[in-house]
This record gives sequence, C-alpha cells and structure tokens, in this order.
Amino acid sequence: MSTSVSHPCKQEREGSFFKLINSFAWEIGTLKKEMRRKNEPSEGNPKTDTLIGLGEEVGGLFLQASPCAGIRAGLPGARDSGYDSLHRRLSVLDKLVHTHTVWLQLGLRHQDATHILMDQPTGTFLVRKSAALQRKVISLRMDKDSAVPVKDFSVKESQYTFSLEGSSLSFADLFRLVAFCCISRDVLPFTLKLPEAIASARTSADLEEVAKLGAGFWDAQLCHRKEDSLSGSTAPDRPPTSAQRLVSLSTAPAHPWLQTRTPSELECCQSNGALCFINPLFIKVHQSDGKSTNTNPCGTAKQDLREEPVTNNLVHTYKDSCSPSLQICSSDHSVCSQSHRSNPKSLGTNTELQDNSSQTSCSQKPSATRIVSQLPPPRPPPPRFVTQRSALPDRQHSMPEKIPWINIPKEKVEERERSTSLLSRLGSSISISPSSSPPKRLNISSPIYIPWPSLPSSLSSLSSSPHQARTSLSSSQEDAQCHLAMEDGIIEKAIMRAKQFQRKTASTTMQDSSSPPQQLLTTTSELAHMQEGEEEVGEECSGGGQRLSDMSLSTDSSDSLDFSQSSAFFLPHLHDPSPPTVADFNNHLPLSIPPSHLPYSSMDQEEDDEDDENEEEPDYGVSLESDQDQDQDVTMVPPGRHTKRRPSASALVFQRALRGHLHKMSGVFNSLLTPEKRAIRKVVELSRDKGSYFGCLVQDYLSYMCEGATQTLQGYASGLELLQTVRQFITQMKSYLRQSSELEPPIESLIPEDQIDQVLEKAMHKCVLKPLKPVLSVALEEFQVRSGAWQELNENLSLAKVRQPQEMGVADMLPPDPVVIEKIKRKFHTMCKLYSPEKKVTMLLRVCKLIYTIMEDNSGRLYGADDFLPMLTYVLSQCALPQLDNEILYMMELLDPSQLSGEGGYYLTSAYGAMSLIRNFQEQQAARVLSSETRDTLHQWHRRRTAQRSAPSIDDFQNYLRVALQELDSGCTAKTLLVRPYATVEEVCKLCAQKFKVSDPENYGLFLLIEGSSQQLAPDTHPQKIKAELHSRPQAAPFHFVFRRVGNRNTLASSHLSHTPNLNDLSVTSDTQANLNDLSKDLSGPCPQVSLSLELNPSLRLSLPSSQLNSNSISV
Amino acid sequence: MAIRELKVCLLGDTGVGKSSIVCRFVQDHFDHNISPTIGASFLTKTVPCGNELHKFLIWDTAGQERFHSLAPMYYRGSAAAVIVYDITKLDSFQTLKKWVKELKEHGPEDIVVAIAGNKNDLGDIREVPMKEAKEFAESIAAIFIETSARNAVNVEELFQKISKQIPPLENPEVESNESFKLTRQPAPSVRRCC
Repeated sequence: MSTSVSHPCKQEREGSFFKLINSFAWEIGTLKKEMRRKNEPSEGNPKTDTLIGLGEEVGGLFLQASPCAGIRAGLPGARDSGYDSLHRRLSVLDKLVHTHTVWLQLGLRHQDATHILMDQPTGTFLVRKSAALQRKVISLRMDKDSAVPVKDFSVKESQYTFSLEGSSLSFADLFRLVAFCCISRDVLPFTLKLPEAIASARTSADLEEVAKLGAGFWDAQLCHRKEDSLSGSTAPDRPPTSAQRLVSLSTAPAHPWLQTRTPSELECCQSNGALCFINPLFIKVHQSDGKSTNTNPCGTAKQDLREEPVTNNLVHTYKDSCSPSLQICSSDHSVCSQSHRSNPKSLGTNTELQDNSSQTSCSQKPSATRIVSQLPPPRPPPPRFVTQRSALPDRQHSMPEKIPWINIPKEKVEERERSTSLLSRLGSSISISPSSSPPKRLNISSPIYIPWPSLPSSLSSLSSSPHQARTSLSSSQEDAQCHLAMEDGIIEKAIMRAKQFQRKTASTTMQDSSSPPQQLLTTTSELAHMQEGEEEVGEECSGGGQRLSDMSLSTDSSDSLDFSQSSAFFLPHLHDPSPPTVADFNNHLPLSIPPSHLPYSSMDQEEDDEDDENEEEPDYGVSLESDQDQDQDVTMVPPGRHTKRRPSASALVFQRALRGHLHKMSGVFNSLLTPEKRAIRKVVELSRDKGSYFGCLVQDYLSYMCEGATQTLQGYASGLELLQTVRQFITQMKSYLRQSSELEPPIESLIPEDQIDQVLEKAMHKCVLKPLKPVLSVALEEFQVRSGAWQELNENLSLAKVRQPQEMGVADMLPPDPVVIEKIKRKFHTMCKLYSPEKKVTMLLRVCKLIYTIMEDNSGRLYGADDFLPMLTYVLSQCALPQLDNEILYMMELLDPSQLSGEGGYYLTSAYGAMSLIRNFQEQQAARVLSSETRDTLHQWHRRRTAQRSAPSIDDFQNYLRVALQELDSGCTAKTLLVRPYATVEEVCKLCAQKFKVSDPENYGLFLLIEGSSQQLAPDTHPQKIKAELHSRPQAAPFHFVFRRVGNRNTLASSHLSHTPNLNDLSVTSDTQANLNDLSKDLSGPCPQVSLSLELNPSLRLSLPSSQLNSNSISV
Repeated sequence: MAIRELKVCLLGDTGVGKSSIVCRFVQDHFDHNISPTIGASFLTKTVPCGNELHKFLIWDTAGQERFHSLAPMYYRGSAAAVIVYDITKLDSFQTLKKWVKELKEHGPEDIVVAIAGNKNDLGDIREVPMKEAKEFAESIAAIFIETSARNAVNVEELFQKISKQIPPLENPEVESNESFKLTRQPAPSVRRCC
C-alpha cells in the first residue's frame, strides 16, 4: 500500500498476527454454510491449515462463554450455530449461572433442603439461607457414612466477597464460589456435584429448560434421568431458524453477565497457588500460555492473540482509568480508520454518528433483549432520557423485531451526538476529584467519544467497519438474518482492512525514519480535527515514536493523535456497556488487578462522567500493574516499557482484532465487572425495560415527573414535599427490588447481604435521580423564588457576608482567607452538579475537612462543634451561594436514611443548621434566636426522616401485598403478591392458594394479624384498602396478612404459636394467644367472617389498640 | 457479633469540655478503616457490650446560645445524650438543667441521658457540689459521673454506663428474603432505671 519498509521482524510478526486474525475470520466463515470455502483463498494465507487450528484454539479460548454471551447479545442463534460445533462444553460456572433457579433456594429451610437432597446422590447441594445463622449456607448431601444426611456449610460474606466458612478462598460472587466448590472441595468433605441434568447439559437451551423448572426441578423426574433429548433438540451445526432463535431468546431472558472459563482453569488457578481470588479469565491465560510454545514465527502472534482476551480486559479497565492509553488506542484507530475508509473525511461524521448511536444503544441492549423476549412486538421507546440511549440496539440485528429500533432517524442520532460532545465537555469541566488533573479530565470526557460501533456479536462483527456499520443501520433487515452479515464480500473486506491496517501500522512504526507514516499521522490527526474540532487533538504528539519502537507488536501508532475523536470509530464493541472500574477491581479482585481508577469504558457517557466524579480514589492515574496475566505475555509487553503503556499496546491489538473478528470476546469483559457494578447495571437496565414491572414503574414515574413538569410542580406545596415524594419512591422501589424476583440472577447471589441495600440505593440514584436531577433543581428553585425565600435568602446572605467572623460566633480563630473560600466555592459548585446525594455529601465532607484542616493548622488543637459550627456558618456566608440552600435540602431529603446518623449526616445537619442561621440572619440579629418556625421545621424534618427508617417495604407499595402462609407444621412462608387495590379477599385467597400451592383452598382464609390478634377477613373486603387504612393510622401497629386454615383454628393457632419450629419468626407471644383463641372462637361462630371493610379503621382503633384488649369487641 | 450503631449526642455549654471528653474517649482509637475522620465534632468508637458491639456515633453540638435552636437536629434519633457541665461553673449546671428539660419535652422518648460533670481535676475551684448533681441525676433517672477529660478519669466509664443502659436487641432484625417475622414492638419500658 502506500507505505514503506518496515522492520522485517516486526512485519513478520504482524503478518502472522493478522494472518491469524484472517484465519479466524476464515474460520467463522467456514462455520457459516454460506461462506464455505469461498473466502479462504482470497487472501492467500499460506498457512491456512495451521491457522485454522489455531483459530479454533483461540476461538475456544475466547468463546467458551459464548452461548451465554450470545444470548445476551441477542444473537443466540448465531452463537449456537457458529460455535457449539466447536465448543460444546459449558463451563461449570455457566451452568450454575443458568440454573440458579434450581440450586439457589434462599427461602428453603433445613428440613426442606434435607428432604430434597435425601434422594440425591452424595455431593448434591443447594444454597439456601439459614434462618438461624442469618447467612447463606450450602446444604450438601453427605455420603452414607455421615452422621447427618445433609450438612450445611455456611457462606461468609465479607464486605466484598463470598467465601466458605473456614476457607481462605474468597470469590466475587456466589456463583464463582459454588463453581469453585464444584471443582475443588476446599473445606468441604468433597466437591459439589451438579445434578446430572445440569452437568450433562450441552447447550444453554438445555440449561434453560432445567432452569425453568426452578425448585420444581428437584421434584421433577428430570433430575433423576439423564436428558439427552434436550441437547439433541438443538442442532448446533446448523444455523437455527429464526423461530429457534426466538425460542432460545425467550427462554433466556436476562442472562447473568458472568462469563466463565472451564473448570480446569479454576483448578489450574488453585494449583498455581497464586490466587485466593479466582478469576477464570486469568487462569485461562496462564494455562494456554503454558501450552503454547512459540517456536515458529507465528508463535508470538499466536501468543498475543491468546493473550488478547485478558489483556484487553485489562486494557479496557486501564483505558478507562487513564487517558494516555486511551489516546493511544484511539489514535491507532484513527490510523486504522483512515486506511480503511475510502473517503474518511466525508464519511467521518456519519460514521461517527452511527457509532455513537450504536454506542449509546449498547447500554440498552440487554434490556432490549429482555424486552424482546418478553414482548415480541416492537415497543415504543421509553420516555425521553431513555430514548436517547435506546436508540440502537444493534446487536439485535438478528432479530427482526428489532428493526424499529434500528431505523432511528439520523437526525436524532446526530442530535445525540452533539449533546454528547457537549456533555463530554461538561464532564471534563465538572470533574470533582480534588486530585483530578488535566489528563484525568480528559479521561472523563474521553469515554464520551468512544463509540460502541456495535455488533459485538460473533458474525455481525465482521460488519463493524464504519461502512459496514452504516450498512447494518440501513439494511438492518438483512442483517436481521445475522448470517447475512457474512455476505461474500465482507470477510474479504475485513481481511483487506486488516492487511491495510497492518501495513499502516507498520509504516507508523517507522514513523521516525520515513516520511509517509508521518504524513499518515498528520492526516489522521487532521481527520481527528475535522471530526470533532476538539482542542485536545495532538496533545501528546511527541511521545509516539518512542513508544512504537518498544512495541513488540509494533501496533502502537503513538499518542500523537487525539484520542477522543479518532477513538470514535475504533474502540471495540463490548457486550457490556460498562467494563469494570479499576477501583472496583481494587476492591473486589484484589489479586487480579491492582488499583487504578476508571470510569466505564464508555457506554453511557454521562454515567461515566458521573462515575468518574464519583470515584473517591485520589489517584486515578494509576495504571494497571502488570499482573500475572500480563506478565506472562512477554512478547506483548516489552520489559522496558512502563506498565502504563502496556495496556495500550495490547489494547490496540486487541481492539483491532476485536473490531474485526473477535467480538464475542467482549462478553468476557463482563466477567471483570465487579459484582456491585454488575448489580447496579442490572438494576439500571431493568429500570429502562418497560417490559418489567419495575421498569414500568420507574419509567412512568420519570415521565410523569419530567414531562408534566409544570403541572407536577403545581401539585406540590413545596420543594420539600416534592423531594419527599421522590425519596419515598426510591425507598419503595428499593424494597420492591429487594423482594421481587425481577432481578436476575437474584441480587443476593452477587452482593453480600449487608451491601445489598447500599447497592440498590446507588442503583436507584442512577435510575431515578440522575434523570430527575435537572428537573428537581429547576423545580426547587422555582419554589424558592415563588415563596419569596430566594430573595430573603439573598438579602440575608449579603448581610451575613459583610460580617466579621466574630459576629458569626467565630472566636479566636483565623478565618480562612479568600483563596480558600474560592476553593471551597469551587467544590460547592462541583457538588451542585452531582446528582447523587451520597456523592454530594462526600463533596460536602471535603469542604468540611478543608475547613477543619485550616482551623487545626492554625492552632494545632482539636476542635469540636463549639468551634466548627460557627466557622462553617462563616464560611458559608462568605461563599454566598444561595443555591446551596436547595442543595442541602436535596441531600437531606434524598440521602439514604441509613446514612443520616453517620458522619455525612452529621455534617449535613451542621450545614443545614448553618444555612438556617444565615437564612434567618436578620431575624436572628434581632432576636438572637431562630424563629420558632425554623425550629419546627428542623423538628419535623428529623421526625420525618427518622420515621423513614422503618420506611415502607414492598408490601406497603400500593399494588403489593405481603401474605404469609401459616401452616401447622412449617411456620410461616411469606410471599409478596401482586394485589390490585380493588382486589377482594376472595380473589386474594385464590391467588394465595395458587401461589402457596395449597391443595384444599376452600379450607383456607385470609386473616389480618395485628397486635397479636387475628381476624379473618370477609371475602368481599379489599385487603389493599385495609392495608391503606392501617397505614394511615397515626401510630401504625405492625400487621400482617396471613393465609391459613380456617377450620380448627383454635388448635391451629395455639399449636402453631407454641410449637412451630420457626417460632422465632412468629413472636406473637403466649399472652396474646388467649385473645387469639377467643377471637378464633368468636369468628368461628355462625358468622365467621368479620366484616372488615371501610369502617375498619374506627373499629380497629377502638378494639385493637393493644394486645390486652380482647378482640371480641371487633367481631361484627 | 452484631454491630449496633448508637447515635450519641453531646450537649452542654460551650467550654465545658464536650469535645475533650469525646476526644479522650476515642483517643488512640481512631477508626481509620471505616471512615477518615473529618474533625473532632463527629467521632466514632466501637466498644463491645455483652454479645454486641456498640458503635458510638458521637455528635457534638455547639454550646453557644445562638446555636441552641439547632440542637433538635442533633439529638433527634439519638440513643443517648451526654449532657456535660463544668464542675467549676455553676452556670453550666443551670444550662444542663435546661437541656434535660428540653430533652424530656422534645427528645426521643427512650433516650438514655447521662450527666457528666467534667473537669473534676479542678476540684479545688468546684462550684457544683457533687451531691447536688448526683441527686439531680437520680431525680431524672439519668446516669451520673464526674469525669476529667484532661486526666482521662471516668471517660471510658461514662460510655460503658451508657452501653449498659442500651437495651440489647432481642433478635437480630435481619429479615430474610422469604420469611418474615410477626413481631410485636418491644414494649417501651424500663430504660431509665439506674
């Protein structure tokens, strides 16, 4: 091509590398019947045979998880057809993840577990939650010699990890723990054994079949017989019909993102002895490294390729965390892009737009997939904030239903694009970390430019060039038949591209010595300029050459190109919108990846910004240290290189490879997501999925709040009230998520118990507060202006500002100087831009810390509130930021109640107090006390906010009712049922009978248990109304709806109360028992059904204020 | 062992040594792991009590009159309030009485009240007789102790006494996913005995 001599050795290596890629493409082609041998010779690969083998190998490496990933990506058919032939085995982890509905039975009691496992072979297990230990346990079927047939091994959940009691191995989530135990017994008497049907499953469809049975699996014959029929039903070598695909889609809705390796890898890890934390990814690398000996010229490339998955993961992480690498990658891409496109400049914008749109769409994909699976017909895009994102689930190519999504008007995309870049700028300007440096800001904004050009899916991956992307956009229908993506020319083109690229790169490598590359570089950066006109272009122009020279793969073109622009085209497509943050790795995968900061690698730009800001780690710039994985790849990482650089090099390689042929690999990134991120992501996705109940609620709420902004506003008396409703909504949705099963897999399997609430809180902030923040800010200000408080506040602020520190109560301390005040103001400005109350509070804490530092520096002693509060008041008055008032209100009302008594709560309270003093400055000057009004406000605030601690749970939520099944022999089981407000008791009884699988529903009734009394509810009353009544009582007593046997109530009630094994669950104590019996007698009279309808409230209040009252009084 | 977070509010005139008591209490025990401490007005310390761990979240308040009106925000939700006076300043004891009254009227119902006469190392210039203070404390069923933050006298004891008065949780209130407890609220009673 246009380029020159490159170092022969390098070229050779590259050559083989790209041949490898080519061969890989070829392999894909082979798998597709459509392709056959047509393309094979087209590029004249001399070593095709070897390479095919290699490709297979590599494919195996990459694609083990593919069935799962494929389903998630919406291309299950493609996956199955393409790779099952090669990779029939599913890893243990895959199997576990797919079938968690079978073995993960948190609600089971020991007896149940014993009962189930009795019939099972030794080693069979369940994971349940022990009521006694309040912990998850693995209930394991012991062998014949054992004293007990089933033994529980408890699972320790530390802050971030899951481990077996007594074991020092800990895992990021429950799945990994169990998977490990399936392979190595560790502290168990023997390894866990998967039921035959699961163990022998060959495709994810098999697993789905099993998973559908849920707990019923154990009863079903299925678990006893080996099922061949299922696996036989899928013909892996043949591309499935679209119907087939649909089926598999629908049976595999929200797939867990756990990506897995084979068991042997796990084992390998252990024998290695290096890790406590098992991350199969790394292990795989290790393994394959051991196998491959690089004797032939191909060796390096081979190794490199093998290395890629891992490296790229790391790279991703890294990329996110640090801009230099990003720059490198992207610049490479621009080189590449240029070489690939006939008319890059003109194409640039379009492509970028598309890329961008596809990128944004990526974040939607999983939910979109889910939508598809649940509601086949196209769905109108959700309310606006979502629409933008949901623009283009390109992975849905394969699915005809997706076309509506794909055919998004270009203008929209463009619009989005623009706003994106705006946002990115904003993002960079609002980076808050005190330690954030310019590069970091770049970093913040950088993800914004990174497109997710799309189609991480296996086959369509080939169509990922800009041109191709457009094609897929426009002709999505064709692409919908995913195999069409493989149309003849494409692979050829891809290979051509690869070749071109290779040459370009080579020439780039020679940058120093030859002019053409120079030109190339220039053009590229020009291109970059053209594309975005951003000023960051070429910021690090100088560093390139040197780096190139160390690159063993000589793929690193340099830093010289602006990353943000060019990257737009070439970052690899990921399945997962958000690769993990290194910070998280730091926390969660301690042995896998060292600390470094990073936002997601980009899907959701704003999110990235936020996340970025949200990260507290001061040193974001830390790169990934070379870990076991990277280090193993000697070729990849030249010894002299700074660690920081490595990822970029490998990133480049990998991205290219990825872009071209290895899209399925991207699923692997998921496995690097920390469980917390994964969980949050899941919630966020669910919230955008209007096909889920949760998604519906959230989206409806959001559109109500946003679109009806003006009317909505008028509906509230004050900003306070507005915020309260928002908080209430968040709390309710949290409880809903906690108790519903819409999250898949259950959050308990990903997040240690004590972290769940926190994680859900974060997730809710993201799905609710993030879109609402702007609306809320505007609304709050309007309220303030309308009520005149704004003006008053401003007046008082200006009055207070001119006061001497002493007048504000600051005694014998040096007040902060104007420079510090400026600094504090900046922090406050940053704080205002955040949406998460938690992050805002963190920001506030930083300000407080700063004030403290100044105070202490000046005197050297410790100060308590006597000194701090006046100083804070003074500082706030000096800052003169009236908007702080609303910000504080926002935080106070929306912060997670559990945090209110902590440090954040304390300083928030102080800030609120200080602000109130300022707000009432004049008055205070006059009276030297706060108005009684302010006092009342404070008073009420605390009452309200502390009351929220016992805040509504799911059953308080209007469409839900929590009903307990009370059985003679088995204590209470509760379920949260969907009960419409006007559903009658009769209907609820039916529902209960069905849900609890009661065989003789006619003998059961719905009872209201309140303060130790129990009364049956009349069939025509409305439980939801009763609930509402009870809730509206000023001092709502705890109450429960219980579904239990009507006959023999006396015996039942009493025996239950006194003898249930589960009695600790039921602390209706014996003194109330008498009443209960009385009541039961009463009720079992001629008119057994107490009519409890709307008059309930008064009567209840009269009759049930305490348990001493005999409930006779209320019967009829 | 379950960790229980207990919010403790410090009340009292400015200069009586509220923060000194806390600083002494948490001295050398700064919990670096849990959260970096911003300043001495909010400190935490975890102490074992029975088979529980009590994590005191200690909220200091500003004693000046002008900030008096903010106090409710601080003592709301507190499990305990430590009202500090200076044994060398009669005024501070009068202020203490006002705080007791306010807590009775507006404070949390079952708040544990502890009265701490600080600076007992300055016994020679004492203005508040120990007996008087003790009697007052008994009359309101409050914990009473004289401390010296400077000499680290009785500071630990003060918090130990508070710890003992905090009723233990009957059952860990963890709600499992699939079952829930039918519980009566524990009867509010017998908290204030000495």
